Amino acid sequence: MKEKRWFLNTALAVVLGIGLLVCIVLRTFAPRMILPALDIPNMALVSLAALVLDHYVSHGAKRCYVCAFVFSALTFGLLPFVAGFVTLKDALLLAAVGGVVFTAIAWIFSSIQDRLSTGPAAKAAPVLSALGLYLAAQCFAGMLL
Amino acid sequence: MKKTIIIPLVSIVAVALVLFAAAVGLNGIASENAQADHIYVMQTLLPGSKDFVIEPYAGADASIRSVHKGETGFIIETVTQGYVDEITMLIGVSNEGTVTGLVVRDMHETVGLGANALTDWQFLAQFLKNTGDAAVGTNMDAITGATVTSKAVARCVNSAVAYVTGADVQSGATSWGG
Repeated sequence: MKEKRWFLNTALAVVLGIGLLVCIVLRTFAPRMILPALDIPNMALVSLAALVLDHYVSHGAKRCYVCAFVFSALTFGLLPFVAGFVTLKDALLLAAVGGVVFTAIAWIFSSIQDRLSTGPAAKAAPVLSALGLYLAAQCFAGMLL
Repeated sequence: MKKTIIIPLVSIVAVALVLFAAAVGLNGIASENAQADHIYVMQTLLPGSKDFVIEPYAGADASIRSVHKGETGFIIETVTQGYVDEITMLIGVSNEGTVTGLVVRDMHETVGLGANALTDWQFLAQFLKNTGDAAVGTNMDAITGATVTSKAVARCVNSAVAYVTGADVQSGATSWGG
């Protein structure tokens, strides 16, 4: 049995943290700029970046999807709130949606990437899977409108 | 395993602390810059006005968020529902009731379609000198593929002019304006 590692949610916190830090700087020094909303496509983008990072750092690690949901919900709810971008009410909504989006994408991403990673495209598999899933997330968000 | 499960929790708290420190530390500069930018944009939208005073709004039009009175007219901040999300605009209206300038301040419309309302000068220029009768499909051309966004902008403009002229266009009550 593969050992469980917990880099994935650390990666998610770091990726989202860097993104929010850039937004804080832009909000301060370029107030005219329209900052992107933390909607489903952008949540998917952050999640996929963390998943790709996790793949190259801790390849093959077993995942606990319940823990992934809890930690990702905490990440998507807490970080935008402390950065001053959302109210407490919106933070709770973001936590719920972010947890679901991240867990679903992590599960789909792992399923695709496990199959691709045994073939000749093993090294590029995570990035290509992420690109495909990002497009799918945009289509899904479009369907919800 | 029980020890390692603490790592992501510690990471999240550490990142949260960094973000909180950055947000609090830069808050003063951000407020100053935002205020200076807001005044610059208002002076651009309403030529001839230097100082602006916030005028309380207690009307029924849900699109109007705030009103700033200048020497030569008003800057009306409007918020209305677009296709994806709310669209926030600043609209300059002279004391005579004509549009002197407009700018989208916040929106998250579809890239390549509704988001063109930010930069499509031919679309935005149609509203200049308008007197509150903007109607997409009648006297205004919509942005290609973004009729809902175009009508939302038209509704904002009509609301702003109606505030200054006192006309009742019920712009907050119609579904898509225009």
